Amino acid sequence: MIDIRHLEVAYGHARVIHDLNLTLSPGEMVFIVGRNGAGKTTLLKTIAGLLKPTQGEIVFEGRPVAGEPPDKLARSGFRFVAQDKKVFSSLSVRSNIELAAHGAGEPVEVAWKKAVEIYPKLAEFRALPAGRLSGGQREILLIGRALVGNPRLLLIDEPTEGLAAIVIEEIFRILKGMRQTVSAIIVEQNLSIVKRLADRIYVMKEGRIIREINDQSGITDSARLENYL
Amino acid sequence: MTAATDLRGFAVRPYSPWGIVRELAIVAAGLLLLSLVIKLHWMTNFMIFFILVLSFDLLYGFMGHLSFGHMLYFGAGAYGTALWLVYGGKSPLIALAVGMLAAALLAAGLGRIVMRTHGAPFALINMAFNEIGHFMIQSPLSGVTQGEDGLSCSADNIFGIINLYKDGWAFGFAAVMLLAVFALLRVLTASPYGILVRSIKENEQRVKFLGYNTFRYKWVTFVIASTVAALSGGMFTLVQGFISPRVISPFGNVDIIFAVLIGGAGTLYGALIGGTVFMLIKNFLPVLIPELATLLNMKLPQWEMWLGIVLLVIVFSVRKGIVGAVLAKWRQRPCGSTT
Repeated sequence: MIDIRHLEVAYGHARVIHDLNLTLSPGEMVFIVGRNGAGKTTLLKTIAGLLKPTQGEIVFEGRPVAGEPPDKLARSGFRFVAQDKKVFSSLSVRSNIELAAHGAGEPVEVAWKKAVEIYPKLAEFRALPAGRLSGGQREILLIGRALVGNPRLLLIDEPTEGLAAIVIEEIFRILKGMRQTVSAIIVEQNLSIVKRLADRIYVMKEGRIIREINDQSGITDSARLENYL
Repeated sequence: MTAATDLRGFAVRPYSPWGIVRELAIVAAGLLLLSLVIKLHWMTNFMIFFILVLSFDLLYGFMGHLSFGHMLYFGAGAYGTALWLVYGGKSPLIALAVGMLAAALLAAGLGRIVMRTHGAPFALINMAFNEIGHFMIQSPLSGVTQGEDGLSCSADNIFGIINLYKDGWAFGFAAVMLLAVFALLRVLTASPYGILVRSIKENEQRVKFLGYNTFRYKWVTFVIASTVAALSGGMFTLVQGFISPRVISPFGNVDIIFAVLIGGAGTLYGALIGGTVFMLIKNFLPVLIPELATLLNMKLPQWEMWLGIVLLVIVFSVRKGIVGAVLAKWRQRPCGSTT
């Protein structure tokens, strides 16, 4: 699906990702954990085309895509849900989905139906400006929008950060529903979510992947995971 | 959630043919009301200015690109029309089309450069091109444009009947064109394309994440806004029968920006209301200030200074413009309230 080899990323002269290798198979849900400043968001931004790597390769379905612009990657099926939960706040909830549908070449009604299926309350908020949604509802809208069209790879940055427990469970339910159907790389600090959803975990520290956890006992070992945060 | 809340919250109002007709009727009624208190030839100038402000609102209000060089396209339309009338033929509609085409081609070319920038560089690069255009008209092209002396031109009647040098016909012609531009922009801004343009204003990066080549949409919007500005420039030429380099002067941009800020950027009604308030201030202060000075028997500063003060007060007291302030009040009403 995606194969990242010897990736190096820098902000000016400051290198923030060093010789990073990562793979993702079709339908796999991979989580990236690590302390603040480990380079997790930088990695997602680089895969999404927001940053150009200084070295290394990102190969998506056999095609090198490193440094391609975000719109081209989006047309290849990449979807990036950023950490800041920014929706198009002056547009209605429905228009947010419409915009994604037009971009992905999917009929608006189909896209809207899919979004409502993952979170029925969206139907209630249909005409509301998206800026008036709560943080959790915005995150759900963003995930719903990312699922419009035919997403091949979801890149989600800290989907539960700053959200109430009840909303976190809602997001867990949505992510769980996506398992096996779409490949995803998710940056997450909430270990209860990670433990229940991860097929594999990469641990990042100071711009490097220091551990790959792919056995079920390791994935569910809270005490061990806590050490990496 | 009540239906009332739904309607109030809907950020991009959908349109229907009847809805458009209703809105055009409202605008037409407003124009007729204004024409009861303002002389027809002034009203014609007002409406030409409204079209220019609407075109700028598409660029700045809807897409978020503040240009200090929009007058370049007004001037290109004005000079394109005038030059056709002088050196080409006397048909006003063909002359208008030539002016618009000239400006569209100019915008298409320059748009490839300016739309790669945003913020202050966008504003200043546009101003630089505007200044170059102003200079070209004044000096290197003075052989055909008559430079500072200006260019006189005359057109035949439209369809052999409509004489644009008569106030009534000119008023009617400007009103029809204004309503047509309003309808066009209303449909455009409520369409998926309009939603996209608004989204670019809000967060261009996120629009790219949805798979859109935003440059292409920005460029098209720039060309449309410039062509509409050229329409108003061409109409100015047809109605006045004379133009000078003033029509392409970068100083004119200040008027458009103030009008949009007064009315409220990003709403077509804001452009019309802002244009009206600005034109009223600009046209009546030069009359009122000398009269007031005589009445008070004292020397008052020139009217331009009062214009600046009045505009500053308006812009700072209603930061989102008149329409923005009214909409904000409307949205603050408790849910379910119908009054």
